[in-house]
Amino acid sequence: MLEMRGITKRFPGVLANHRVDFTVNAGEVHTLLGENGAGKSTLMKILYGLYQADEGEIFLSGERVEIHSPTDAIAHNIGMIHQHFMLVETLTVAENVALGLPSNRGLRTDLDAVSERIEELAGRYGLAIDPGAVVWQLAVGQRQRVEIIKALYRDAQLLILDEPTAVLTPQEVDQLFVTLRQMTDDGRGLIFISHKLHEVLALSDRITVLRQGTITGQVPVEGATRESLALMMVGRQVKLAPDKPPVEIGEVALEIRGLSVMGDRGDKAVRGLNLEVHAGEILGIAGVSGNGQREMAQAIAGLRQATAGSIRIGGVETTNHTPADVRKNGLAYVTEGRLRDGAIADFSVSENILLIDHTDKRYLKRGLLDFKAIKEHSLRLVDEYAVKTPTIDTPAKNLSGGNIQKMILAREMSGTPTVLVASQPTRGVDIGAAEYIHKRLVQQRAENTAIMMISEDLDEVFALSDRIAVIYEGQIIGIVDRQTATREQIGLMMAGVRPE
Amino acid sequence: MSEFFTQAVLIAAVASGIRLAVPLLLASLGETYGQRSGVLNLGVDGIMLLGAFGGYYTVLKTDNVWLGLAMGIGVGVILGLVSAVISVTLKAEQGISGIGIYLFGLGMSDLLFQKLVGTPLPVGSFPKLDIPGLSDIPILGEMLFRHSIIVYVAFGLVPISMYIINRTTFGMNIRAVGENPEAADSLGVSVVRIRYLTVTIGGMMAGIAGAALAIDLGIFQQNLTNAQGFIAIALVYFGAWRPAGVMAGSLLYGFVNSVVLQFKTLGIIPRSWSDIAAMAPAIITILALVLVARRFRQPAALTKPFTRGT
Amino acid sequence: MKKRHVTWLALVLALMMVLVACGDSTDGTTAGTDAPDETTAPDETTAPDETTAPDDTAPSTDTTAASAEPFRIAIVAPSASNDLAFTQSIVDAVNVIKSEMGNVEVAVTDGTFIVEDAAAAIRGYASEGYDLVIAHGSQYGGSLQEIAPDFPDVSFAWGTAADTFGLDNVYSYEAASDEGGYVMGVMAAALSETGTIGIVGPIEVGDAKLYVDGFEAGAKAQDPGANVNINYTGSFSDVALASEAAQAHAAAGADVMSGTAQMVVGAVGVADEVGALWFGTQANQTSLAPSIVVASQVYHWEVILREIIANLNSGTMGGEIYTINLANGGEVIEFNPGYSLPDEVRQLADAAIAGIIDGSVSTGQ
Repeated sequence: MLEMRGITKRFPGVLANHRVDFTVNAGEVHTLLGENGAGKSTLMKILYGLYQADEGEIFLSGERVEIHSPTDAIAHNIGMIHQHFMLVETLTVAENVALGLPSNRGLRTDLDAVSERIEELAGRYGLAIDPGAVVWQLAVGQRQRVEIIKALYRDAQLLILDEPTAVLTPQEVDQLFVTLRQMTDDGRGLIFISHKLHEVLALSDRITVLRQGTITGQVPVEGATRESLALMMVGRQVKLAPDKPPVEIGEVALEIRGLSVMGDRGDKAVRGLNLEVHAGEILGIAGVSGNGQREMAQAIAGLRQATAGSIRIGGVETTNHTPADVRKNGLAYVTEGRLRDGAIADFSVSENILLIDHTDKRYLKRGLLDFKAIKEHSLRLVDEYAVKTPTIDTPAKNLSGGNIQKMILAREMSGTPTVLVASQPTRGVDIGAAEYIHKRLVQQRAENTAIMMISEDLDEVFALSDRIAVIYEGQIIGIVDRQTATREQIGLMMAGVRPE
Repeated sequence: MSEFFTQAVLIAAVASGIRLAVPLLLASLGETYGQRSGVLNLGVDGIMLLGAFGGYYTVLKTDNVWLGLAMGIGVGVILGLVSAVISVTLKAEQGISGIGIYLFGLGMSDLLFQKLVGTPLPVGSFPKLDIPGLSDIPILGEMLFRHSIIVYVAFGLVPISMYIINRTTFGMNIRAVGENPEAADSLGVSVVRIRYLTVTIGGMMAGIAGAALAIDLGIFQQNLTNAQGFIAIALVYFGAWRPAGVMAGSLLYGFVNSVVLQFKTLGIIPRSWSDIAAMAPAIITILALVLVARRFRQPAALTKPFTRGT
Repeated sequence: MKKRHVTWLALVLALMMVLVACGDSTDGTTAGTDAPDETTAPDETTAPDETTAPDDTAPSTDTTAASAEPFRIAIVAPSASNDLAFTQSIVDAVNVIKSEMGNVEVAVTDGTFIVEDAAAAIRGYASEGYDLVIAHGSQYGGSLQEIAPDFPDVSFAWGTAADTFGLDNVYSYEAASDEGGYVMGVMAAALSETGTIGIVGPIEVGDAKLYVDGFEAGAKAQDPGANVNINYTGSFSDVALASEAAQAHAAAGADVMSGTAQMVVGAVGVADEVGALWFGTQANQTSLAPSIVVASQVYHWEVILREIIANLNSGTMGGEIYTINLANGGEVIEFNPGYSLPDEVRQLADAAIAGIIDGSVSTGQ
């Protein structure tokens, strides 16, 4: 039903899509796979009218079409579910669905009629939702249902799903897949964008892999494996799970007792959380984002006020100490926002590496920075952590996400910390860099560091953790040994179901 | 103090408060549309001033207050469109570009006044309309239903605005565009068109507010509005971007002013305090603003220009 | 984000208030220039004697052939030259001087309500060697205090104010507006039937305070039982508020009103609407409401300009404070011929004027 032919799109300095051919048949799920920046989103934005292609043609049911705006796309029965939901939080579900459509009452809204139709669609596809609910009150999974209903309401025959599972629990993912399958059974065509390989294998009929704007493979799902897909994505063999030599589990290095922390909006983001991380182990924190992970990590690092409870690092009380003091006690912290609070975009690699050590005697000479020592130190770390950068004086913002993350990791681990808190260490990082980062984390574990790894990527949690703790509404709802844990078990806990 | 509670003074205080509220109400209702769609227009006062001069001058020349009002509308629409070009199409920093409109209105209205009129000459005001029946209610009738027509127009626009914003597709589009323009755009709602409309409506209402002020006072002077346009913007925040709230804010401001005036006139506030008392309306409004407005979230896209595909 | 916006807006709002309160607080004096309809002022024809022959002791810039060099006067004023008010009063006065003296060059920078702009203009004129630079706005005082010492050969006149900063090249000038106010007060009390009089003022300072205090004293002198309600609105520019202040006066029973500063233009209309009489000051306000304006106090600055120029010609560059008043003809009570003032009230006014001039009547100031 869809044929995109020879699509090329250039941005200043980047060839985002290069002669991409892409087709979707009625009733199939065609997955678009690729790393960040591979050109998946660009291709889909062209299809949805958000970008214009520099070259190439689009055919729908054999007819050539021009899509200049989302309005055109909608008119051609193309729907898109964006990675970041396109919902107006202050409007009701019905209003969100009705938005942009003519009312059959002229100037007045016809929300009751819209609501009726929503309930009809919801019933048919198993997407239970209250049309009168205001969107900001809805949970993430429900919001996604609203997005799907929006597309169905407009009778989308071709539906683009941009990373729809990123924010869902495994159970919600299963439920979503059931709905999506129902839609293909109706003869609709789906384009599924994801980088989670096992999901891709579970849902797709066909898979197209993009790398640096060009297609590197187009395969039916039959016969495809995670390894073969990763090979097409990265261009070389990738080890998806690092080898983990057994390590002696040591003393409690990080101890959290009854920790409570406020969120940005004055809500209680962390409520009486208890947790212990031992030297030499990787404790994976699983959970749907927004359940207090960020606030907990910031409280540990001294970046956010704890309103109650205590935090001890290596047996020393550090609750509400200054960040510098917490670091002195052996904490290293890899933040989730790389260029927001993990590094300074306009600073050079060398300056970024120095950030936490700038008062260290080793780099000071009579009170001033000793640039020679700094340079040596930076060069050594850049080399050791395989940070790909033209020079150590290159601004951090010119590096790829993976290399920035490696740079941060190099800085954080250079002091051999007692405790490492790593928040989303590989989010948005290419597979090659992720592989490397995972390897370094395992190495650090071997050096007896207690590692808390917060991740929304269950694959990562399962690949690295010794134990898995699940955070839900600011509390640890359960801790499971990796050896015995199952995805279903973790998924249930992520949804708030306490283990017996 | 007891002098205040005489019938005549009470009636005068309420009627005065309502009159003082009218230009603010008109301007802030208009600004509500713009802000609900995500555009802050700090130029309201400038548009009011030009609307005021346009209205005044038209009445001076034609002796017809309705033509004067029409001129206020025309001036407002044109300046509203100019504001829209600057903030929507050119995506200028809204906190600054509006000040430009303000300074333009302030200077231009004064220049035109000096060149075309020179000395303040009185002009006719809007006719008074005693609402039949209601105006005969003792006390209340005198307070509320013996005003000039523009007063009823201004307050009549409150429910109309509520209806438009909450019950029409246009209003739904305004709210969506002000909250999440990307989402609205992805559904084919033209962010640019909606914002042009709301900013133009805002300009039109500011023009009406200015014309209403000048014609009701029957006079024009340099900086006639005396920054009422800025107070109107503050009242939009105070009113939590809702027409009824904006009306409450305008009335609060008007009433505090009128009560202070009555108190001063009757010597209840000692003369030595009158300069401090003159700040009361501003202080009370700012306090209310800070206390009330923070319970409500402002439109998420307020002051943020929209560019597709980012 | 939200909180920041609110704070920011509050700041902008507060800033506006300050601007409104301070910015205009000095061009509040408006002066009428309409030809007096009827004048009780003492004879103005005493032409300055020295002006016809400027001598060589004048500022260094015209040391050569004095009679060939024009006398150069510069005016820096906050509002427009044709505002029929404060700025025009000085421009007209200088033009009167020009027509009297003949060889005078006049330069005007108007509309400099921003003090920095005014300061630049003042400095500019001084460096161009003008003989007399008039800084017509009390808000310019601070700038003048800095500029004047740099130009010892230039004479400066500053008003309305009563301070020369101890500098010997600065004159200052003001108006004894209490005198006219007193005369108005006498008439107001005599004309009021309810015994309640309302006055609308801006901020209780300077010229406005003098006028209002004089008015109150006059009214009380005429009728000790008179109820004089005084309402300072707190703004020189809020026309709407001044109008509502007049409404408040009416509600309190006032049947005679007056007001000072430019924002009363709307209040005159209110007085007309509620059938109250009006007394104007700083300008002949008859045109605003021809049937109810009884009289207005008008300023003629040329009276003191003549003295300043005479001083300059005799070598005195400054250091004196001048006041226009009824006695020297700088203040004139102009009656509205369209209002039939009862003879006995007119006689009361004339008596008050005469009393103030000969010192037998005190305005209380």
